[in-house]
Amino acid sequence: MALAEEMRRATSKGPLRPAVLMLEDGTVLEGAGCGAEGAAFGELCFNTSLEGYLEVVTDPSYAGQIVVMTYPQIGNYGVNPDDAQSTHPALRGLVVGDMCRRPSNWRSTGSLPDFLASEGVVAIEGIDTRALVRHLREHGAMKAAIACGSFDAADLAARLAAEPPLQGRNLAAGVSGARQRPYRLQQDSRSFALAQPSAPRYRVAAYDCGVKDSILAGLARSGCEVTAVPWDTPAAEVLALNPDGVFLSNGPGDPDAVADTYRQVQELLGKVPVFGICLGHQMICKAAGARMVKLKYGHHGGNHPVMNLLTGRVEITAQNHGFNLDFPTLGPLIPELSGGAADHSADLRRWVREGIAPAVANERFGTIRLTHVNLNDGTAEGIAFEDLPAFSVQYHPEASPGPNDAGYLFTAFTRLMDGRKDFLALDIAEDRLAGWRF
Amino acid sequence: MPRREDIESILVIGSGPIVIGQACEFDYSGTQACKALRSEGYRIVLANSNPATIMTDPSLADRTYIEPLTVESLRSIIERERPDALLPTLGGQTGLNAAVALAEAGVLDEFGVQMLGCDLEAIRKGEDRKLFNQAMDELGIQTARSGYAYSLQDACDITAGLGFPVVVRPSFTLGGAGGGIAHDAAELQEIVSQGLELSPVGEVLIEESIEGWKEFEMEVMRDRKGNGIIVCSIENLDPMGVHTGDSITVAPAQTLSDVEYQRMRTASLAVLEKIGVHTGGSNVQFAVNPEDGRMVIIEMNPRVSRSSALASKATGFPIAKAAALLAVGYTLDEITNDITGTTPACFEPSIDYCVVKVPRFDFEKFKGTDDTLSTRMKAVGEVMAIGATFEEALGKALRSLEDGRSGLGADGHREAARAKEDYRPLLERPTSARIIYLGCALRHGWTPAEVHGATGIDMFFLERMADVVAVQEVLRGHSLDDIDADAFRLAKRYGLSDAQIAFLCGSEEALVRTRRKALGVTPAFRTVDTCAAEFESSTSYHYKTYGGNASEIDGGCPGAKPKAMILGAGPNRIGQGIEFDYCCVHASYALREAGWETIMVNCNPETVSTDYETSDKLYFEPLTYEDVMDIIEAERPDGVIVTLGGQTPLKLAPALQRAGVPIMGTAPEAIDLAEDRDRFARILDELGIAYPPAGDACTMQEAAAAAQRIGYPLLVRPSYVLGGRGMAIVYDSAQLEEYVAEAARVSPDHPLYLDRFLESAIEVDLDCLCDGTDVLIGGVMEHIEEAGIHSGDSACCLPPFSLSDGILDRLESIARALALRLGVVGLLNIQFAIKDQVVYVIEANPRASRTVPFVSKATGVPLAKLAARIMAGEKLSRMDLPAGYRTMDRFAVKEAVMPFGRFPGADALLGPEMKSTGEVMGTARSFPAAYAKTQLAISYELPPAGTVFISVADRDKRAIISIARDFERLGFDVVSTAGTAKALRASGIACQVVSKVSEPSPHIVDLMAAGKVQLVINTPYGNGSRGDGYRLRTAAVRYGIPYATTIAAAQALAQAMEALRREALEPAALQDFPARPAEGAV
Repeated sequence: MALAEEMRRATSKGPLRPAVLMLEDGTVLEGAGCGAEGAAFGELCFNTSLEGYLEVVTDPSYAGQIVVMTYPQIGNYGVNPDDAQSTHPALRGLVVGDMCRRPSNWRSTGSLPDFLASEGVVAIEGIDTRALVRHLREHGAMKAAIACGSFDAADLAARLAAEPPLQGRNLAAGVSGARQRPYRLQQDSRSFALAQPSAPRYRVAAYDCGVKDSILAGLARSGCEVTAVPWDTPAAEVLALNPDGVFLSNGPGDPDAVADTYRQVQELLGKVPVFGICLGHQMICKAAGARMVKLKYGHHGGNHPVMNLLTGRVEITAQNHGFNLDFPTLGPLIPELSGGAADHSADLRRWVREGIAPAVANERFGTIRLTHVNLNDGTAEGIAFEDLPAFSVQYHPEASPGPNDAGYLFTAFTRLMDGRKDFLALDIAEDRLAGWRF
Repeated sequence: MPRREDIESILVIGSGPIVIGQACEFDYSGTQACKALRSEGYRIVLANSNPATIMTDPSLADRTYIEPLTVESLRSIIERERPDALLPTLGGQTGLNAAVALAEAGVLDEFGVQMLGCDLEAIRKGEDRKLFNQAMDELGIQTARSGYAYSLQDACDITAGLGFPVVVRPSFTLGGAGGGIAHDAAELQEIVSQGLELSPVGEVLIEESIEGWKEFEMEVMRDRKGNGIIVCSIENLDPMGVHTGDSITVAPAQTLSDVEYQRMRTASLAVLEKIGVHTGGSNVQFAVNPEDGRMVIIEMNPRVSRSSALASKATGFPIAKAAALLAVGYTLDEITNDITGTTPACFEPSIDYCVVKVPRFDFEKFKGTDDTLSTRMKAVGEVMAIGATFEEALGKALRSLEDGRSGLGADGHREAARAKEDYRPLLERPTSARIIYLGCALRHGWTPAEVHGATGIDMFFLERMADVVAVQEVLRGHSLDDIDADAFRLAKRYGLSDAQIAFLCGSEEALVRTRRKALGVTPAFRTVDTCAAEFESSTSYHYKTYGGNASEIDGGCPGAKPKAMILGAGPNRIGQGIEFDYCCVHASYALREAGWETIMVNCNPETVSTDYETSDKLYFEPLTYEDVMDIIEAERPDGVIVTLGGQTPLKLAPALQRAGVPIMGTAPEAIDLAEDRDRFARILDELGIAYPPAGDACTMQEAAAAAQRIGYPLLVRPSYVLGGRGMAIVYDSAQLEEYVAEAARVSPDHPLYLDRFLESAIEVDLDCLCDGTDVLIGGVMEHIEEAGIHSGDSACCLPPFSLSDGILDRLESIARALALRLGVVGLLNIQFAIKDQVVYVIEANPRASRTVPFVSKATGVPLAKLAARIMAGEKLSRMDLPAGYRTMDRFAVKEAVMPFGRFPGADALLGPEMKSTGEVMGTARSFPAAYAKTQLAISYELPPAGTVFISVADRDKRAIISIARDFERLGFDVVSTAGTAKALRASGIACQVVSKVSEPSPHIVDLMAAGKVQLVINTPYGNGSRGDGYRLRTAAVRYGIPYATTIAAAQALAQAMEALRREALEPAALQDFPARPAEGAV
């Protein structure tokens, strides 16, 4: 046996299972398998969260993607199924620097590599993830393959080339619940840290395009009785449920391809209060006729600063999206509501500097205000309709993983359903504190 | 919203001398703040008593006051400078306490000075446990169950309700001084009575023990709009029970799931808001029960701290700089992230590496003290290491410590074979060596679970360390030739050093390096960028790793500028402190100005040198041959500076030179010439310079023979010393025999040196510069204490107050001759002893000395900067130099600050072994007034009257008389033991006799305990006495009574008190020291 292998076997890692990561541009990186055997194909993206790997792995929005974790040691505190965001992982594969075989945490029920293997998720470790991230930063998101076990390099390359790109694919359909179902908040092993939910006061229908459990939990905690409905449920059926509000969930893939959802939104807007997160936000924008653009390498992590233009407060946010609203396509600026400005700027941080939340005239739904801007790159992060009760954000108020600064948006939704005009003007700090038990 | 326009001038208060619990991290934070605020156009008035700091450089503030941080002194500075505002949160606990004292004394109101960043109410809420616990209760955040005790009885009552063990925390003490864990009634009594004494309000908190819980720290920033961010989370490897400053810590937190981490984050942000930290950085500490996740808040500090310095270095986020900008009105989103240059500072750094901090201890300096780690900090310094994994970072950190280890064991240090059970006490008791024993135990049959049972250390860390040991054990016994590239790379990923691999394979480090490189196994250099590579970074802050092959540096290619690499000083320890960091930083500044590209290498997170803004490039790496050579090979510098970072880089010089590395300045050969006693003696003979007779010996017989020849008393020491380590004065053959037995353990491979000890000689330090042609005398310092006290522990005065011009001429001419003869290119420090008008050279060190910053501040001649320019090829004759020390119109006194309060049981006696941690400086028109300032800077007040206890050795009985008379005149009552009383009474001094400690009560220590003694003068009888004197001095330390242990110090103290009676001490800004016309190089 080679000395390196002898050393490896003496550690918690055990015998080497050779694995390979192959990129669309021909880059091939060798590593070791740390999940299921087999081959996986998908779009490669990276996530910068320091903890919360299980939430990432089980986030349905990663359907069709292979995720690189930038923090090098993953799996340290094991796996607790109560932290999972869906019943089964939807991502295609996982790439890490170093996978922990012997985790430590009082809530852990097993190790991450065992979990991945049992869920059939192919994973690779021993990769210089920093170099890989720099590669993606420079060359943009691209397709990749992971193979662990027996594989043929040429065959793998051919299958990778044949893998369709993420653009144009409706991946939401694959992760949406098949049937309408009431959501029940579980009192799980996280209850040591989470506050008791409010009593239900609102009935909310939630379009499930691959919804994260903590989004539904966030709605439930803020007093909503939630019914999840499949991604393409006709608007009439939803309205027939007689909800106080409609929620549009996060989800994977290209928003342009999820037409059966945003067409429903067109019909819902103005009839019922609407709130959308991530793909749900994009659905609302699409309904208003706006265009989406694909970001070079997306926003995936838990540390992006977003300013609420209405309050001037900055939220540190969880992000997970590869597509983004092209704000000017919502409509021309209304100068009298935009500090006199008539021309759009590509970098929306202009509004941060000027302290203005600009508004556009949308040809379908009237006045729409830009409410949230990403301070790192000046992209749009949230909008609110002035003439009808609806708002949406690109980022993740439910966090999981990530900071819960934006948790107030769930409260904002209840205020919207209460008919308040100032529904977004909330004290972040107070709301942030309210969700926890110490 | 831009900066505040309603303030123009800001007073920044520093943290005073380096003491345990408050080290140079506050120089780093203060320096950052001064730079940031000045670049915003504010006028900065700086007050700090510590001359060894960068922040007290006259160029960093508009007005720099090296003055005591007392209310009186600060009041007169405020009166003169009329600052609009005071920034109290960057000078540690000292700065905060000074600000509170100023506010409470009404000074701030009187002069209309606003407090920035934090107000009095918030400081009180943060520090007063009652207010704090109440505030936490309102937030619903749990604190440990507890009660306040004002007497021993209170403490017993409260403990009855909580059950042992309990934690005792005296209120308002620095770094948890006086605290501890009591496991039984006896311990409770001891700790509580000590704590009640140490607490300025006579109050201690008795708390339920959460010993063994996991400990976490959150570094938080908040702006005036309420935006809050977590800069970094830190997890302590050592569980609760060990002070966080004494713990090995890891960033980011490793074992918290997202829900646990986010709960802690939310709590941290809420705490800042609740306490009322309007803007700035704070540190919040939590304990988590590993069984059920119960979270308890331990404390918060409404200011930057040691941990925030660590967090800044660990993430690249400059907390102190941001705190300063927030204090003057900016919000987080208005500040740009320096490292990316494009994104705002309002974000939470994401890091893609692991950071490990390991504290550095110096227990061997304090015999008699308990080396168990507890809630009272005892570490004197720390190192930080960055690696791709915890394993790699831990290995790097352990070899950065400079305690002779090369990693987690397996490095050739003898590990006595022990039975499995014998490891238990070594694991259960937290000590500085526990981490090494832990490795041994894992190697000798302990499972991680068993180690967890004995230590409480989280299984995550233990499993990782078990893997490291497993890798070591597979390597052991293989020959170097067996190791192929894959095996090398794997070993390196687990943090093994070349030195460890050499030991395990029975080879040599140099051969390991050669083979490793031949196999192509070299490290990659990565960048610390705050964002896990999500954005491009424009800052050159790097670390080395084997976690990949992709290097991110452009080193190796010759640039437009010549490259100078400066090797830093490593961890602070006694004998090697902040002074050397000052020199390295100055060299970097000077070379940058002179058109060089500067590259800093250091592993100490507390320092200014490891601020990524200080040099063009920063490598945060251990200062070992392996790590330094890896950087040199990547960067190919035109020159490497080894003479400014103390012993650390100096030790590397010969090996670097052998490897063909260009050394700047004094050649290693010349350093050896000065260090090799025989060669140096020949040079002194050749130049006709006197030196004390000396000899060396490898056995007791040889030592006895040498002693016979040289004559007693003797100064003895091992051949390799740092800070006088292992040095002693022996008066007879019995003492010599005792010493040799001990010295053999200190350094078995080196001979013992014996020098004639020149008793009662005046000791003098001289710092000079030489460019090979000319010599510039920087300063001559007369020591207050006589020869025999380590120069680092002795007070000294510049210019000398008792030396004639003739003697000064002689000292200078010797310095010139020696500098030129040795071939010094840069700095030279010489220590002299003057006895009976004969000048003896004790030693010469061709490198930066501890006194360089002091001399530079006192004379206005920036010695370290000039040294760097000389090393870069400039000539003294071409420099525009200010006048020398001899025309100074004021006296500058440097006084050492001792850490005895931290080491109960250790003798508070000065000797040839250095024990001080820091220094203060005082300047005035007279020596006594300057000396008085230093005493005020250390103890904040001198007793105006009361009782002085005097007990001196027979040889001092004559000398004490005039001093006793001085105290009598000052209005003190004199109390003495019988022997001294006899001498005093014979000279007509009224004194009361009190029993010795060894005699029945009431004796002198009873008197001290009762607060009836305000000053103690006690000179030791003989050497290392464990008798009366020892108990007396430790009692003085315990009760905080000022004391003098030498006649010279007693005399200076008497003079200082007289000066205080006579005159009001005037503060003076360095900028006002009269600039005198240059006389050029001499």
